[in-house]
Amino acid sequence: MNKSVEVLPGTLDLMILRTVDLRPMHGVGIAERIRQVTSGVFIVKAGSLFPALHRLEGKGWLASHWGETEEGRRAKFYTLTRSGKSQLAAEKRNFQRVFLAMTQVLEGE
Amino acid sequence: MVWTSKAKQFWRFTARRRQMESELDEELRACAALLEDEGMEQVKESVRDQYAGIRLNSLGHDFRYAWRTLWKSRSFTAVALLTLVLGIGANTAIFSVVYAVLLRPLPYDRPEQLALIWSSFQKTGAPHAPTSTIAYREIRQRSRTLQDVGAIWVGSGTFIGGEEPEQVKVAQVTPNFLSLLGVTPALGRVFAPDSAFGEHTIVLSYGLWQRRFGGDPQIVGKTVPMQGGNPTVVGVMPAGFQLYFSSESNVAMDVQAFVPFDRFFYKQPVTLYYLRVVARLKPGIGRAQAQDDLDSVASQIRSAYTALGEENMTLTLAPMQEDAVREIRPALLALFAGAGLVLLIACVNVANLLLERASARRREMALRTALGAGRGRILRQLFLEGLTLCGVGAILGVALGWAGVRALLSLRTDYLVQIRNVGLNWPVLIFVAAVTLGSAMVFGLAPAWESTRLELMENLREGSWSAAPARRRLSAALIVGEVMLGFVLVIGAGLMIRTLANLRAVRPGFDAQQVLTFQLRLPPVSSEDALFNWVKDWEASLAALPGVEAVGATSHIPLGGFANWYSAYRPEGLSETQAAGMIADYRCVTPGYFRAMSTRLVEGRFFNSEDRSGGRRVVIVDDLLARKTWPGESALGKRIFAEHTVPNGFQPDWAEVVGVVEHVRNHSLSEQVRPEVYFAFAQSPRSPLNFAVRLPGDPLALVPAIRKELARRNPNMAISNVRGMEAYVESARGPASFTAVLAAIFAALALLLAAVGIYGVISYSVSRRSRELGVRMALGASSGEVMRMVQREGLTLMGVGLLLGFAAALAVSRWLRGLIYGVSPIDPLTYALAFAAIVAATLLGCWRPAAKAARANPMDAIRAE
Repeated sequence: MNKSVEVLPGTLDLMILRTVDLRPMHGVGIAERIRQVTSGVFIVKAGSLFPALHRLEGKGWLASHWGETEEGRRAKFYTLTRSGKSQLAAEKRNFQRVFLAMTQVLEGE
Repeated sequence: MVWTSKAKQFWRFTARRRQMESELDEELRACAALLEDEGMEQVKESVRDQYAGIRLNSLGHDFRYAWRTLWKSRSFTAVALLTLVLGIGANTAIFSVVYAVLLRPLPYDRPEQLALIWSSFQKTGAPHAPTSTIAYREIRQRSRTLQDVGAIWVGSGTFIGGEEPEQVKVAQVTPNFLSLLGVTPALGRVFAPDSAFGEHTIVLSYGLWQRRFGGDPQIVGKTVPMQGGNPTVVGVMPAGFQLYFSSESNVAMDVQAFVPFDRFFYKQPVTLYYLRVVARLKPGIGRAQAQDDLDSVASQIRSAYTALGEENMTLTLAPMQEDAVREIRPALLALFAGAGLVLLIACVNVANLLLERASARRREMALRTALGAGRGRILRQLFLEGLTLCGVGAILGVALGWAGVRALLSLRTDYLVQIRNVGLNWPVLIFVAAVTLGSAMVFGLAPAWESTRLELMENLREGSWSAAPARRRLSAALIVGEVMLGFVLVIGAGLMIRTLANLRAVRPGFDAQQVLTFQLRLPPVSSEDALFNWVKDWEASLAALPGVEAVGATSHIPLGGFANWYSAYRPEGLSETQAAGMIADYRCVTPGYFRAMSTRLVEGRFFNSEDRSGGRRVVIVDDLLARKTWPGESALGKRIFAEHTVPNGFQPDWAEVVGVVEHVRNHSLSEQVRPEVYFAFAQSPRSPLNFAVRLPGDPLALVPAIRKELARRNPNMAISNVRGMEAYVESARGPASFTAVLAAIFAALALLLAAVGIYGVISYSVSRRSRELGVRMALGASSGEVMRMVQREGLTLMGVGLLLGFAAALAVSRWLRGLIYGVSPIDPLTYALAFAAIVAATLLGCWRPAAKAARANPMDAIRAE
């Protein structure tokens, strides 16, 4: 298993929005999903995740409701709102530009 | 929408706090797996920080917390509060006076457009001379920037009829004067601006209307009996109406009635200067523009009237508000600055106290940081503690300030023109709020700055071994600043007290004790001789009253507010150009006057009953004039060309000097303004006359007998301005007493606060060093040595503070020059005393902590941790 690292600064919001875009998810689910997708490279800690969730909700990009997990426990589910979707698209584009630029810097002569 | 979800969150956070908290709790507990090494509470706190409502809500929280902490350490709070209350109280009191006197607009219509126009003559060099009627007419006609120009002269008049005649201050005004000020009368109307001079009409003051006419609502249109005619009342001014002129203008603020000038107004000589001119600027005209206009008007007048051209008359415009307070402004501003320094010292003290507490609370703060409080939150916490302290301090301070203002008013400050209107009002309260907030900033900032240097772990581990050096440096700097400010204040107060002492010691040219004075408007009689005989008889009957030692009369009582009479004189043998600039106060006196006032004769003789009208004209001059005009020679037998009063104005004539008396301070105790020329009443009669009666015991006891005597002679005459001569001297000393008393209070406060501050810092330092001191004592240091060591710390700070204070005091000394009298602004005695006072305050502050350190048992100190 690869060694896990801290999430890149500024990318946590993007990852959360992207993850929730698939389907409504609760906090543990989001953290778990990110870990799985990145093969355990990114570990999101509660101390970063929950403030971020509440912040995104405050900005109106996420909405929340209480529901039941597959195991039948009560949990708070987050869904992407309309403005959240366009924010995700914008952040995605932005990140791709940054990524491209970084690659050019690192690979270029 | 973004803001709706934010609002929803805010709503949940504030209104449904409990539900939100339990939800958060549940959410996090469900995710316990994620928490790993993070604390649940820490995560919660950072989630809460995300909320829109967080700032508001935790603000309330922090306030409650601040309140609790302050309440818990009551002795700290009490000292800090006392300090603040004194500082804020002093400032509230002074600012209410400053606002009322210097800042509040005059209660007239658009007061910013009102200005005074003063004449100035080369000959006199006086920048605030009155204007003649002709010059007034010319200004009014020629100016292009003035909407209107009015003039006033305050004399007196006697109301007759009723039970007792009464002489009051009556202002003669141009018909447009009152409408120019734009004050709506309480009853009737003011004079029509275009009405004729010499109309027999009168406008009463509210006070006179109430007092003498019982507030008769039908008074408008009635005639009121006065000596010399029965004018018709056209209106009554509103209650509280006052004239605001500088005291140098000799326009009393409490004029009782207004009458138009007589119809000979424009027939007077062009060089008879007595009008105080008030102008209203056209809308949109600035001061500079109006002054330019007046400059050109003055030059036109100079070429049109040779007499004014020769005197090189110029005109100066001064905004009415500014002019009214020009004499009092420097003292008030100095006191205001003094109060500011006291507040600064108070802030420094509280900053120091907070700093010490912050330092003692470092572990508490570190713990809170560990529990998830952000640095900003902690800073805010400290600032809020400061603000809470200040808030309570402000409320108590305003109360103290209000009591202070009441006390100030009781100092008999007649000269503070508007002081009667001093009160708590919005501007004052806003000022207090600003001061409070500012202070909270100042002393909240120091500990906050200090706390930003908190290193979490270091502080948790560290015991209370010693204060960090940075903290010590800051509080040492504050103490140095405090000593410096205190020194400056003590110097200021010392100089003011010496000034007051000098004013008490100065001989004004007469002996004010046991002299009764009153004014009397003389009855109309057929000839000068008859008038002279009437006065002679009257004086004789006064002298016959029991206990009376001497009686005399003068046209102008020294230090009284009667419009001054001064003019040029020319000694024999000098041309007019050579005599340019020779100007003197003119007075006419009866033969007994100098004796009644105990004014000393330097050479020659006083007037006597041989000096009659039609006889050889004689004058008495003061020693100032004699020395200046005939240096090294006797003035006796010399002749001067000077104006005499004649039935219809003034007329210059030659007169021989028969006596020289000491100089009398007519205008101010601290200055010899002008030399003096005295005429014999018989040769230069004037009315009204001010009588001086010398008698042992309480002079005022004689008043009923005098009234009875006068009523027997003429039931239509009344005495007024009944006052002991000492009252005039006292009120002349008023400004200096006022300044000295306040300066002394401020200095005492500063000393007290500085001592408290030094005490705080040193005792804190001692408690921090208790272990070190204990070790030293265990190693053989005697308690005396420990005591000296502690004191040395305080004295070093004091030394630096004194050096800086010395420099600061020298720097401000030139500002004080105008306020002090008979003492140098760098008076060695004052400096020495201030030095001693500061040393005493420092030793007082150091003594207790030092003694405590010396008494301590070394073993206790070492074991303490």
